[in-house]
Amino acid sequence: MINQLKDVVTGSAEIAKAMGVTLKYFFKKPVTHQYPDEPVEVYPRFRGRHVLKRYDNGLERCIGCALCAAACPTDCIYVEASENTDEKRYSPGERYASTYDINMLRCIFCGYCAEACPTEAIVLEHDFALAEYNRWDAIYPKERLLEPHDPDYIVLRSDEEFKLSETWGKK
Amino acid sequence: MSDNVTLTIDGVQVTVPKGTLIVEAAKQIENEIPVFCYHGKMDPVGMCRMCLVEVGQPAIDRGTGKPELDEDGNPVVRFFPKPMTACTTTVSEGMVVKVDTSEAAVDDRKAVLEFLLTSHPLDCPVCDKGGECPLQDLTIRHGPGNSRFDYEDKQHFPKRYPLGDLIVLDMERCIICARCVRFQQEIAFDPVLAIENRGRRAHIVSYSKPGFDSHYSGNTTDVCPVGALTTRDFRFGARAWEMTNVPSLCNHCGVGCNTVLGTRAGTIRRIMPRQNEAVNELWICDKGRFGHHFNGSPDRLTTPLIRKGEELVEATWDEALSLIGEKFGAIKSANGADSLGGIAGARLTNEDLYVFQKLFREIIGTNNIDHRVGLSAALEDETAFTVGVGVGTDLGSVGKGTTILNIGADLDQDAPILYLRVAGASVKRGAHVINAGGRRTKLDAQVQTTLRYNYGSAARLALGLLASVVSQGLVAKEWADSRTSGMADLEKALKNFGADKVAEATGLTTNAIDAAAKAFAEAENGIIIFGLEAGNDPALRAALEALALATGHAGKPNNGVIAVLPHANSRGAIDMGILPDRLPGYKPVESNAGLSAVEMLTAGGVKGLLIAAADPAVESESYKQALQQLDFLVVQELFLTETAQMADVVLPAKGNAERDGSYTNLERRVQTFDMGVPAPGKAWADWLIFTGIAGQLGADWAYASADGVMAEITQRVPLYAGMDFKNLTAPISLQRKTEHYIYEGMSFTTDIREGIQWATVAESDSAPKIPLRFIEPAKASSQEQGLTLVAPRMLYDGGRLLAEADVVNAHILEPQLMLSRSDAQKLGVSTGDSVTVSQNGTAITVPVYIERTVSEGVALLPRNLAGRPAEKLVGPNGLYSTVKVEKS
Ligand code: SF4
Ligand code: SF4
Ligand code: SF4
Ligand code: SF4
Ligand code: FES
Repeated sequence: MINQLKDVVTGSAEIAKAMGVTLKYFFKKPVTHQYPDEPVEVYPRFRGRHVLKRYDNGLERCIGCALCAAACPTDCIYVEASENTDEKRYSPGERYASTYDINMLRCIFCGYCAEACPTEAIVLEHDFALAEYNRWDAIYPKERLLEPHDPDYIVLRSDEEFKLSETWGKK
Repeated sequence: MSDNVTLTIDGVQVTVPKGTLIVEAAKQIENEIPVFCYHGKMDPVGMCRMCLVEVGQPAIDRGTGKPELDEDGNPVVRFFPKPMTACTTTVSEGMVVKVDTSEAAVDDRKAVLEFLLTSHPLDCPVCDKGGECPLQDLTIRHGPGNSRFDYEDKQHFPKRYPLGDLIVLDMERCIICARCVRFQQEIAFDPVLAIENRGRRAHIVSYSKPGFDSHYSGNTTDVCPVGALTTRDFRFGARAWEMTNVPSLCNHCGVGCNTVLGTRAGTIRRIMPRQNEAVNELWICDKGRFGHHFNGSPDRLTTPLIRKGEELVEATWDEALSLIGEKFGAIKSANGADSLGGIAGARLTNEDLYVFQKLFREIIGTNNIDHRVGLSAALEDETAFTVGVGVGTDLGSVGKGTTILNIGADLDQDAPILYLRVAGASVKRGAHVINAGGRRTKLDAQVQTTLRYNYGSAARLALGLLASVVSQGLVAKEWADSRTSGMADLEKALKNFGADKVAEATGLTTNAIDAAAKAFAEAENGIIIFGLEAGNDPALRAALEALALATGHAGKPNNGVIAVLPHANSRGAIDMGILPDRLPGYKPVESNAGLSAVEMLTAGGVKGLLIAAADPAVESESYKQALQQLDFLVVQELFLTETAQMADVVLPAKGNAERDGSYTNLERRVQTFDMGVPAPGKAWADWLIFTGIAGQLGADWAYASADGVMAEITQRVPLYAGMDFKNLTAPISLQRKTEHYIYEGMSFTTDIREGIQWATVAESDSAPKIPLRFIEPAKASSQEQGLTLVAPRMLYDGGRLLAEADVVNAHILEPQLMLSRSDAQKLGVSTGDSVTVSQNGTAITVPVYIERTVSEGVALLPRNLAGRPAEKLVGPNGLYSTVKVEKS
């Protein structure tokens, strides 16, 4: 009998405590987003879906060197190169990528490809919403990667401060 | 005094023969001195200065003439004040070389690299050499981390300059090492490249017309230590590290060059040479390098086809094979086994051919098989069995003391890499090469003696040489007595034959013949090479065999006879008994000989025919008519050829890059190749198809792989004993490797295999004596007046296997009659005029081209060109005939 009474008292105290927490958050700013109705914020250095860049004059930056493919730890980039001609020119110089596929299902977004690229053609941008209805569609061909991709459900946070540490790069 | 010297390199002692270069001596102790211009196959030039080392020599006391000693009693070493190039300096006794132990030398090499890079474009990401580039590798190993030179101050040249239509030059990348120039000069003997200008403006040029006119041009892209030379075929085909390197063999001629297929994503991207010092050293010709596109052709057969009325419709393997079984079975039971026959081309592997002959001989029960259609019918050879070149022959090393007699082979066109080796033996190593032919060929310029005989008299020339050997008393008596029989009869026959008639028939002087005979007989080593244009004459072969035997030039390395047979496995086809009268291993058939290909391709010859890897329908109209009259024709092919279009069943076969197998080259070397790429559609390997057909006819063979077939061959064909794939694919021994491993300038490696040669009768001391044969040459055909029309085989011809190779297509000639200037003048024609060429009522009209290199009295019209005009006149199996040429 006495035990039951004890339970009721402590139980009520717990509930009150929990409700207190609820009450506290009730007045705070919510952390959830109305995604996708409201955009999500990501840090500028967040590594998401790749984009192949162009120069201002419209030529492709990619020269089909396949160094990205060589650097990729999951081997998910496939590059075939061809030769530019004066009539059909895709990139400056002699060589361009005639095929450039990335298998997004395999990519681990490490960014090594962007690191390896001598022309800063491949860049990991910010999109993370990469679901597809068909697995084959997860292999992004060159045409798709070359499209500028700036989805409106992502915005960059502006509060990231980039500080170069004195000790970086030193043992 | 001993012929060795001992020196110290970076503190390690090494003893090498006198005259060795420091780089080579260092290589022996695995001290790799960096080089760019030095190449083990070429003379050193010391152009790039990459190999700078410090060199010292023991000091000699002038007074006593003894080596000076320091307090501890060690010899004092005096170093030269300036660094020396290790690639041009030969070793001497007591020499001390500092490679990595000398700070000065390390600094010097660093500076050389910094200089080389001052004008280098550093476009490694788009450079085909990137990833296998000596300049990259050596910069990382020996170079400075950065440059003190102004990046903007680089020398600029056009980036994509075509030296010829096969090779593209990027002069900005060139480091002026002259390897390409020297390769063309010293190894290919086509000096078509040169360096123009000096200093920073120096650049590579080709003044030949057309540009870079050489059958060996692709090799310069291999020896180039940077990406300055690239092939138009491969340019940007793949990065070096992306390709799988598959050991393979070239299937375009009988040399059997070892190659590497660079494959990626199921396609062949490039073909590179694979080192085999006994066959192709480090080289392949451009046909072998660029002629691989048939493999991936969209026109390949992908599924069996069965004739339904006029149409060939797709079928399954089961349907096709059971139809063949049914029809062949019916023909056999109605007309007997000899109403069936088979023709197999000499491009099939030993395994295919063995199963093929087994199918016909054991399952069907007929000897009606042959490989001799087209060029294969233009040259036969059984001399290899008795007097083929000895096991261990290496044309790449013979020199002084060796005489090579070449009769009727245009090596530059028929067997390009053999040409390099023979020309090299002559020019670089001082062998005496006698080039006998009916017309001028490229080899003439590289040899000491040329003999120009009248077409059709090669057998007489050979007999004349033999007679001259006998009359000059140059017979190697002891050897000939112990190993041959019938010398007395031969001498008698030669006397009756009359040596005096030879000079007249051949158009040569007796002196010339005597001198050639003497040079051949007296040489330490003697090699006879004969080819297509000598004519397909048993008298010639008997005479050459007797010549080799009588002079003792048989049965040992670097001695014997080589027939320049036309196809990749022509030798294997003969070894495997694809002949109506011979079983595998040169055994005569036990029962009646069967029909030859020509007989089978005569109307009424056979009722059912199986043709694999041969296309007789294009060779001649009469073959075509005979094929039309067959009851049942099965064709096994890569493409829907003209013959295949006439077939009742067409079976798709795998190309040689799509399966494994073995070929036997013209020096009887059995070599294997691996599978590189997947076959299109449902194609099968040829041996598997034959096995399938045999199964339909009641056989219960269980071959599971080419390897398995070879295992049976080793059991049943004594010549091939021990040649199972395990032995054939065994990598070469470590010792051979250190002797020969000089993959200079190529950083990829793949299995080096040397193959196995089978031994001739002359090599076995216990074999019965070899009878010396004499065959009276056929009477020269009635002395028709006119020009001799020669239909030589060209390297680049209209064959199906080259049709897809776009880059070499421009090199395939349009049919044209090549005449000497004097003959053209006699006819009153000049280049571009058309003439009518006729013989026995057949006439063709072709344009004339006046060609400096053609000899008088000879007109050239290569065979196997568009429309095949030459074959109409010389016949499908001939190489020459006398024709009338008139202006039309
Ligand atoms: S991010 Fe990493 S895993 Fe993804 S493609 Fe680039 S290198 Fe490959
Ligand atoms: S994206 Fe960059 S690294 Fe990849 S192929 Fe193109 S240029 Fe080369
Ligand atoms: S093109 Fe290549 S091989 Fe020729 S000189 Fe230049 S670097 Fe040497
Ligand atoms: S020489 Fe003959 S075997 Fe060698 S690469 Fe040329 S065609 Fe092929
Ligand atoms: S100078 Fe010795 S390798 Fe070039």
